[in-house]
Amino acid sequence: MFLMTEIIVLLTSNLILTQALGTSTLFIAAGNRKNLLGTAFTITLFTMAGSAAAYFISNALPGSAKDFILLFYALSVGILYILFLIVLYFFNKKVFRNAKKYIHLSAFNCAVMGTLFTITNKAEENPQLNNIGSFIIAGIEAGIGFILVSLILMSAYKRLNSKDVPSAFRGFPAMLIYLGIISMAIYALT
Amino acid sequence: MNKRTSVFDGLIGNNTVLSSLMVISPVIMCGDTLKNAMAIIYAFSAITFISVIAGSFVPRKLPYAVRIIIYTIISSLVFIPVKFAAQQFFPQVINRIGIYFMLLAVNSLIIVQTEAKFYRMKRGKMIFSLIFYIFGFDAVILIVSFLRELIAHGTIYDRVVDIDTLISGFGLPFGGFIFLGLMCGLYRKIRSVSRHENTGGDSNVSDD
Repeated sequence: MFLMTEIIVLLTSNLILTQALGTSTLFIAAGNRKNLLGTAFTITLFTMAGSAAAYFISNALPGSAKDFILLFYALSVGILYILFLIVLYFFNKKVFRNAKKYIHLSAFNCAVMGTLFTITNKAEENPQLNNIGSFIIAGIEAGIGFILVSLILMSAYKRLNSKDVPSAFRGFPAMLIYLGIISMAIYALT
Repeated sequence: MNKRTSVFDGLIGNNTVLSSLMVISPVIMCGDTLKNAMAIIYAFSAITFISVIAGSFVPRKLPYAVRIIIYTIISSLVFIPVKFAAQQFFPQVINRIGIYFMLLAVNSLIIVQTEAKFYRMKRGKMIFSLIFYIFGFDAVILIVSFLRELIAHGTIYDRVVDIDTLISGFGLPFGGFIFLGLMCGLYRKIRSVSRHENTGGDSNVSDD
């Protein structure tokens, strides 16, 4: 019961289903089913680490420099991206060679940047959330939400790409409508 | 099958939104009124055009990862004056659009298509191609927001229209997903039929 409640909470606060954040990345990754889950896990790493960086940036920036927040967030994600590539290079060179052209998709996208802005806005509205723990937890939640939607999409992937679907709607259009129906169900829950 | 690419591809043949499903978040979330659409069109066009052109001067000798970061930094810098101007032209809409305005600076056309498509072209062709890719996005968000505003709110540019049945769900995110999915299917059907006719009934015409 506890698990069900947690899953419902994750779905109702899901950034893809409620705010369409990271949808393009999801569909780019969905072009290759094997990549989808890998991309989702990498995005989780970036949302988690990026959220920690966002906490320090949003608190360090003076009010007059708030217009530069996007620049600093982009810089922080850029640094995380380089660190991730370095770690991957030393961890497994073969994986690094295969993945290096795609990792930037997991780093620079609406899912990661949108998470950082959403968390920052929530912390501004509710000062109780303005602590490193809340930022990191929100980042992890956003990433898990992305994994959850990837799993939902993967479970229907074969059917949405099957010959039973009219050719014009096969693939991406069917996936969009499918996500829309899931999103409608989530909307009903909230 | 004709594989020749044209500078007009981005407008119809390979539309940013309907063909590749790129930059769909603002279309789904903000494309429910024409006023929102106008602000998004302005910001997207300005940020993408300036950023991609400026990014084309980044030396190709730099490592791929560094180039991607530089493109993002350029678009984040371009965003600042674009936002100042937007606050003058669309003061109320900017607050309504919220974070989606900022997220236009990390759109897939800048992050993905620069290296995959634009920077493989000669600069002159790249500029024309980029313009039509931007027009492609602008046209889609304009059509989507016009129809969604009409169906969901019964208005056109905030002016009430005499319409009997409203489906308010189309103004919500799930409505955006479903509406865009339907438009995407329709677009592919039309594209498939037109290619079929152009190739004289070639049965190998495929959908992405």
